Amino acid sequence: MIEFKNVSYSYPGNSTPVLRDLSLTISEGDFILVIGTSGAGKSTFLRCFNGLVPHFYGGDFGGQVRVMGHDPLREGPRGMARHVGFVLQNPEDQFVVETVEDELAFALENYALPQAAMRKRIEEALDQLSIAHLRSRQVSTLSGGEQQRVAIAAVLTLQPSVLVLDEPTSQLDPQAAEDVLDTLVKLNADLGLTIVLSEHRLERVVQYADHVLYLPDDGQPPFFGDPTAVMARVPLTPPLVTLGKALGWEPLPLTIKDARRFVKQFRVPSSEFRGQPETRNSELETSIDMQDVWFSYNGHDALRGVNLTIRAGELVAVMGRNGSGKTTLLKHLVGLLRPRQGRVAVRGHDTRNASLEEIIAHVGYVPQNPNALLFADTVREELDFTRRNHRLPPADYGPLLRTLGLEALADRYPRDLSVGEQQRAALASILVADPEVILLDEPTRGLDYRQKEALTAFLHVQKREGRTVVMATHDVELVASCADRVIILSEGQVVVDGPVRQVMTDSQVFASQVNKLFRDTRFLTVEDVLGRI
Amino acid sequence: MFHPVAWLLWLGAAVLPAMFSQNPLYLGIVCLTAGIVYAVIRRRSPLAQSWSSFLKLGLTLIALTAPFNALVVHAGRLVLFTLPQAWPLVGGPITVEAIIFGASKALSLFTLLLLFAVFNCAVDQSHLLRWTPAFLFEAGLITSIALTFVPQTLHSAQEIREAQAIRGHRFRGVRDLLPLFVPLLTSGLERAMQLAESMEARGFGGSLQPLSPRREALVKVATAMALLGLVSGFFTVTYFQGQQALGQVLLILSLIALALAFNIQSQRVRRTRYRHGVWQRRDTTLAAISAGVAVTVLVVRACTRASLTYYPYPPFSPWPPFNFLLGGALALLVAPAVLAGTRREQAQQPTPILAGEP
Repeated sequence: MIEFKNVSYSYPGNSTPVLRDLSLTISEGDFILVIGTSGAGKSTFLRCFNGLVPHFYGGDFGGQVRVMGHDPLREGPRGMARHVGFVLQNPEDQFVVETVEDELAFALENYALPQAAMRKRIEEALDQLSIAHLRSRQVSTLSGGEQQRVAIAAVLTLQPSVLVLDEPTSQLDPQAAEDVLDTLVKLNADLGLTIVLSEHRLERVVQYADHVLYLPDDGQPPFFGDPTAVMARVPLTPPLVTLGKALGWEPLPLTIKDARRFVKQFRVPSSEFRGQPETRNSELETSIDMQDVWFSYNGHDALRGVNLTIRAGELVAVMGRNGSGKTTLLKHLVGLLRPRQGRVAVRGHDTRNASLEEIIAHVGYVPQNPNALLFADTVREELDFTRRNHRLPPADYGPLLRTLGLEALADRYPRDLSVGEQQRAALASILVADPEVILLDEPTRGLDYRQKEALTAFLHVQKREGRTVVMATHDVELVASCADRVIILSEGQVVVDGPVRQVMTDSQVFASQVNKLFRDTRFLTVEDVLGRI
Repeated sequence: MFHPVAWLLWLGAAVLPAMFSQNPLYLGIVCLTAGIVYAVIRRRSPLAQSWSSFLKLGLTLIALTAPFNALVVHAGRLVLFTLPQAWPLVGGPITVEAIIFGASKALSLFTLLLLFAVFNCAVDQSHLLRWTPAFLFEAGLITSIALTFVPQTLHSAQEIREAQAIRGHRFRGVRDLLPLFVPLLTSGLERAMQLAESMEARGFGGSLQPLSPRREALVKVATAMALLGLVSGFFTVTYFQGQQALGQVLLILSLIALALAFNIQSQRVRRTRYRHGVWQRRDTTLAAISAGVAVTVLVVRACTRASLTYYPYPPFSPWPPFNFLLGGALALLVAPAVLAGTRREQAQQPTPILAGEP
């Protein structure tokens, strides 16, 4: 049993408490999902389980925590390591040694276990996570999903009874994320391991959870209960649940299977909707033109004969597996990479002849990791820096900051912002140069539903203003809510290119929750459905 | 292949001639054995690619050093030709002796490089790090973490450079380093924090046992005395020719004291090691041969100083002397090639013990 009694905590040098008078009880073997906006204290809460808060961070801690009869406050993270396994967001950042097997041995060596016991436990952990075939591989050569499974195995060797994971899938692509979550569900069911997990992509896990803890960021009391009850009360819900709430479905369905029951009784007026007008953009000027583009990295063909024409004002989503060439394609559009064969023209500039300076006058590229951009002392200075680089006069940033919801943060230190705010600060610092073409690489990584909504609204505005947007993403819901056209890449080739409604309805994999439910070109998002009734 | 420690002994024995002697005959033998060993092990090692870069570096070294010495040093009797005296520095006789001396100096460096190249191909650094003594465990771990940090940092540096370039960042002065370094530094620190958390959450750092005050004092005094003894012993041996014996006794005593202190320190560390690499009979053979070679080199050096040191300038002979005992001993360094050639299995892979159990 895990018990939190009146737990309050504030970080050193910060008087506002992150956790306020939190009390809850978790029974053994439960699967607990922790949700909340970024910055609501999810990570802090999870770090109370093994005493990293307050032992690692300092600060003021009040109240009592008991984990399986142990007091993390007294025993500290080292003492708790045997009882609580702790896995972080980014698998790469938690590896100590080079090979998988040694990584698994690390915790055991720290506890001075005899060799025979170590070998037995390592073999068991390898089997539990189905990574025995990776045992002598170097961790740096593994895929994200494999790495995260190794990280989980590395804490399971100590045979803890609680496994705590801080957004373990936020850095992974959907397939890898699914693998990791499936593994967790299996560990929970087979070993009776208590699992405490924080996660943004509720649609994947909410059906497995026994209880959900919602931590609000506005000073409201936290809410702990069974998934349906919590989903009914909180604003952050996956599209399916949002739809169920809007239509008053009872009991609230958490899975597509549950929801089908309601769809059967659901009459939709037919035929008057003819889908997205596909010819709308054809008279507009060409913004991006790729002709038979080939490119190779270290002898491996990353792009193989890509042909693509994108018109001004189009919002195109590029989808596909990891390593299918999405980022390579984006880098070609901004002239960072130049084709080995073929031709790329952006706003009439052939990237092989144009200088980077000429291209970036028209194109803005927001990389996957906003941290690669942000360096200045304030958000405002970041914007000044870009304007100066583009030899543009200083401007009034008011409207741009307002659109992105950053007015209040203009003078904050960018590194202190939450993930979503950093993402928007990075966007602002690219868009301040007023590019006609915007390229986004995985813009929703680490964003919660509310932040995704803000991004969607923003992209709609850009589209209306005639800007061309190309985004590489795994996020099907984002694509459903704002893209006009979807391109699916596989091994460097375009395998699908079509209007979003058509592509989603035809596909088993690249379809939004609402579309999976109705299988109808008219319905991709909750708004589509509500607008029909 | 062989146990990392056996390889380490082989390396130790093989570098001795390269350090003590510039005699091209002995060095030639060592180079030749290193080449044979490499030829045998390279098919089995994924690390073998680094060999050619070592080789290139070594050849460049020879190509630069030998002519330089010949042009600058004008001593010797076997004059090939004479450059005009008016030319600064290079003017004067160009002698065979100077060429030989330059080449043999370069050859000893080349030999060292070659040996490390072979060692690098044969032993994975991370496997070797596991053999750092217990009390130095943390130093070994830091090295291991640093090794994994380097590629990650290079990767993020590339990412940051690209991201800023697209933002119009151009390099014009020192101030323009900020947009590159600040993100690199902060992301490095953030990564380090995460790693620290992850290590602490897996029980790292709680494994040092407290010592009794008496033993603690003993360790401190022994370490201090030993280090002092080592320094003074070294100076006695080097600068006071009459006090050789005293210096050597001092050195040996300090080494014993140091070993004692390290031993006590190691006992404090409550850690075990995951088994990796089994010590096999052929490791013993290799270790014994290596030790034999090392002892021979040291004994020959101690008894007949002249046969190891080599100095081609007059009044000595420009032609190197050769001691057949030593030459034969050095040829034994080919042992890894002979022993490894007999079997094909990989000792580094521990076999799973649970195979077949439910």
